[in-house]
Amino acid sequence: MTAIGIKTADKAVQSVRGRAKPKPRIGAHVFLIVLVIYFLLPLWWLIVASTKDAHGLFSGTGGALWFDKTFALFDNLGLLFTYNGGIYLRWLGNSLLYAVSGGVGATALAILAGYGFAKFAFPGRRLSLALLLGSVMVPLTALVIPTFAMLSQVGMTNTIWAVILPSLLNPFGVYLMMVYATDAIPDELLDAARVDGAGELRTFLTVALPLLRPAAVTVLLLSVVGTWNNYFLPLAVLSSDNLFPVTVGLGLWDGLANSASGTGTTSLWSLIILGSLVSIIPLIVAFLSLQRYWRGGLAVGSLK
Amino acid sequence: MTGTGSYTVARPSSPRATTAARGKSTRPKSIGWLFVAPFGLVFLVFLVAPLVYAFWLSLFSKGLATGTTFSGIGNYVKAFTDTEFLGGLLFVVVFSVVLIPLQMLVSLAAALVLDAVTTKLARFSRLMIFVPYAIPAVIGALMWGFLYSPGFGPLAQLFGLFHASAPNLLGSHEVFGALLNVVTWQWSGYYMIIIYAALQGIDSSLYEAARIDGAGPWQIALRIKVPLVASALVLILVFALIGTLQFFTEPQVLAPSSNGAITPSFTPNMYAYNLAFANSQINYASAISFALGLVVFIGVYIFLFATRKKGRIV
Amino acid sequence: MGVAHDCGQSIPLDASLARSRLPGLGPEQRSFRVKKKALIALVGLAVVSALTACSSPGGSGGSTPAATDKPQSQADKPSNCDNKILYPSATRVSLWGWSPTLPVAVDAFDKAHKDVQICWTNAGAGSAEYQKFSTAIAAGKGAPDVIMLETDHLNSFLIKDALVNLSDYGADKWKSDFSAGTLKDISSNGGIYAIPDDGGPVALMYRKDIFDQYGLTVPKTWAEYAADADKLKSAGGPAIGDWPNDTPAFAQAMFAQAGADTFDYNINQKTSLGVDIDNAASRKVLDYWDGLVQKGEVVTTGQSSTDFVSELSSGKLATFIAASWEPGHLTGAGFTRGPGSPWRVAMLPQWNADSPVQVNWGGSTYAVTTQSKVPHAASEVAMELFGHENQQTLGAHFPQHVKVQKASWFVNAEDPFFGGQKANKEVWIPTADAYKGQSYSPFQDYYYQQVTAMLTKTTSGAESSKAGLSKLQSTIASYAKAQGFTVKTK
Repeated sequence: MTAIGIKTADKAVQSVRGRAKPKPRIGAHVFLIVLVIYFLLPLWWLIVASTKDAHGLFSGTGGALWFDKTFALFDNLGLLFTYNGGIYLRWLGNSLLYAVSGGVGATALAILAGYGFAKFAFPGRRLSLALLLGSVMVPLTALVIPTFAMLSQVGMTNTIWAVILPSLLNPFGVYLMMVYATDAIPDELLDAARVDGAGELRTFLTVALPLLRPAAVTVLLLSVVGTWNNYFLPLAVLSSDNLFPVTVGLGLWDGLANSASGTGTTSLWSLIILGSLVSIIPLIVAFLSLQRYWRGGLAVGSLK
Repeated sequence: MTGTGSYTVARPSSPRATTAARGKSTRPKSIGWLFVAPFGLVFLVFLVAPLVYAFWLSLFSKGLATGTTFSGIGNYVKAFTDTEFLGGLLFVVVFSVVLIPLQMLVSLAAALVLDAVTTKLARFSRLMIFVPYAIPAVIGALMWGFLYSPGFGPLAQLFGLFHASAPNLLGSHEVFGALLNVVTWQWSGYYMIIIYAALQGIDSSLYEAARIDGAGPWQIALRIKVPLVASALVLILVFALIGTLQFFTEPQVLAPSSNGAITPSFTPNMYAYNLAFANSQINYASAISFALGLVVFIGVYIFLFATRKKGRIV
Repeated sequence: MGVAHDCGQSIPLDASLARSRLPGLGPEQRSFRVKKKALIALVGLAVVSALTACSSPGGSGGSTPAATDKPQSQADKPSNCDNKILYPSATRVSLWGWSPTLPVAVDAFDKAHKDVQICWTNAGAGSAEYQKFSTAIAAGKGAPDVIMLETDHLNSFLIKDALVNLSDYGADKWKSDFSAGTLKDISSNGGIYAIPDDGGPVALMYRKDIFDQYGLTVPKTWAEYAADADKLKSAGGPAIGDWPNDTPAFAQAMFAQAGADTFDYNINQKTSLGVDIDNAASRKVLDYWDGLVQKGEVVTTGQSSTDFVSELSSGKLATFIAASWEPGHLTGAGFTRGPGSPWRVAMLPQWNADSPVQVNWGGSTYAVTTQSKVPHAASEVAMELFGHENQQTLGAHFPQHVKVQKASWFVNAEDPFFGGQKANKEVWIPTADAYKGQSYSPFQDYYYQQVTAMLTKTTSGAESSKAGLSKLQSTIASYAKAQGFTVKTK
């Protein structure tokens, strides 16, 4: 059985070096270029469309995939950041707040729980673990309505907590941490620390935590991304548009643009398009700059 | 065993079983609860409690003109005889059957190529293929909605080159393919990375041995690489199945642009959402969600059972 | 995983599902067995949750309102407003609305009222907002004090006891400010439940340049409209119009214009509903439009898409049957305004020129919700937010308040969207005056969804109009019965 492990980036590099030198493959390169075009096409369209004004979008020259004669990117940017009192910036800030606090919180809980599951045979461990695994199959739409009802009972809907608290739930992150902790922290180290008289918390902080770092970073990244991309939970629990994250905000504008009741004189389509572009830049930048953590860092194991 | 041993950051340890057993018995057990408790609290409050409440809701019926009455499994009987629910279920099953192999093919092919070719182009491609994952599904769907629009997107221009008129990709017959495309675009890169990482973990000496035996690159790919990442493939398949049976975001976002082709009950999750939020039938919506969950549960177990052997062979 | 899980994080997939450290059973059997234990535990939890979680729908159901509002505590004051509060200690009323004229109207109200301030937020447009409202009603909490509703949805919320009878708060004195048709739309059983802001009289927008080019006359009847369509087709011109599947409110307006009286509902007899969908008038309308579609003279583009706006702006459609708020909607798409604009507007074609019928599509009202703790202040907001617009503040609205309609600056306004045409005088005002009102179902969203489903089949020719309408009739009738209504059919 292929073993599982979380590899370091070094190992990945080593295995690449160990291979035979590949011959230049035209077919493979063409295939890759086709794939790249396919995956980047929508982004290209987004960039081009962001430079057009409403007239250019609907009846411009040059077609949809090329620029119009009017270059309206800066006008659009100005409009984007000032429309409705600068609410778009507010939405970006909200997304950041929810993603970071939800992500960091979820990771902290996942690290603690993963460590607990991995290193302690407490009573009820099996049951809890089974519940954890089973929770992956829960249809999350079923949770939105009762979560809203529960939150409204305690008057917490339409607050930032209505988004952040449910985002702390990351059962898969717990599982990831548990798996990693089982392998990465040898019991001998923990026993040694205990023999030296360290309390459990101290042992955790000084011995276990540093060893868990690679997986912790991965879980953090995934939690942050997950919360940033969240749409239906904030849509359901928030009703004030200045608490919306940017996903819900853009959905709001999309509904307004298509709705049968007027948008005044502003071209919301330009705002939606440019707003989408601006909102995905942070994540793409984050992904590209934090490559080494997720690229070579994870290998997938097998199901027994 | 293959050389792909488990590499951990710490020193490799002695046979796990005995150490673990010995180690665990000397450790204070119940303190484990303290570490798990914070997560456990969130789990109870935001997963278990809402689920239980949703289940409770599903046992009642409420009409607009009547009060709430207890109906037991009445809603479930209604769900499994409801043509809209069953139609949505059929759609997601057929969609999964077509989508998942397609996604696997694209991501497997990409991963294999990227594993074999290590030029700058390959590294660049790897990143670019992964980029759609960084885009929220909502925004991805919005973008494709614009792209699909015959007048607004590039289709009119592209088809104009061939003197044809642009098809309406969100019409009743075309919407299946349109959704297939959006989801493939969004997720293939993600699967590719996973398969790629698994491929990177294979000991390259295997390839040397195969080459000495006269195997060409295709044979190496199909006979050695693919079987060795079979476990990764199975894992991806399970989660793709779970996710696709719960298909929601993309059709929900694209529905307004589809001129009625994407109905409110197009997928079971959309049906549940629509019942709850648009038609205020929260009780029935909860039953639909649970009915869907049941189908997903059964489907996944069947699948796991069927692929259990495959996993073991490696 | 194939698709993102909504409402939660996308499940991170690069897990290592490790080799299980637990001896004994494999994960499938283990979790299956343990699931039984989990279920038992959950049942216990269910009892506890049921006791604590069940809530009754909100509503201050009292039949006689108190004379004044209770004083509002600081904690009850809504926050997170889209507008600025000028007098923080005044009673603050929360308002949900998406109309583009709200920012100006809210600021004007706040400036003029020291004792009541509005905290406005945009909770979504149309059904997005209605969904939030419905959920808040079901949860018993979270609804705003004042809410913007389209007239066709009033009954849907009246049946949930969600709206306050504004006649109890002095709304009757406003009756004279509205036309008879408008009053019918906002009243039920003699009480006024919402104050109208703008209306949607329906007329025929047409491209003067295309009409001139092909020598068409502006049609006064549907027969003339079809004749113009034929003329365009034979000359190789663009389509004459659009018959979409996804705009059921428009289809309903067309049915009404032909004489259909689809629903009969009165809050006085809450549980009784008259349903008449499969009638000759609706069949006539469907057959007419399906005929034009089959001849290729009318397109079927959905109006909730950018595609439709593209077609309008690039001259692929010669006419657009639209409500008065459309020009406002289209201005955001870069349409030329001023003398160069190719669009003009004329009265809606009639089935019978001797007995014209005018209809309404959309239009907004403001209602006070029963969850409001400050209904007096909220009613004041609803009643005084609009009705005193001037040329600058009106925007692209057709006001329902008669005194604004009669103002000479409004009557003689030259609309730049229509190339300076005096659209109000010539078209919108006479249309609105002749509007007689309509009755809507108490589950209008569900009805509209089913209309779209029907249109998808009838427009494509998969079903005849008779089959489609009779299916719709039985679907709606059985839905109503399942919801506990007594259904009366003709």
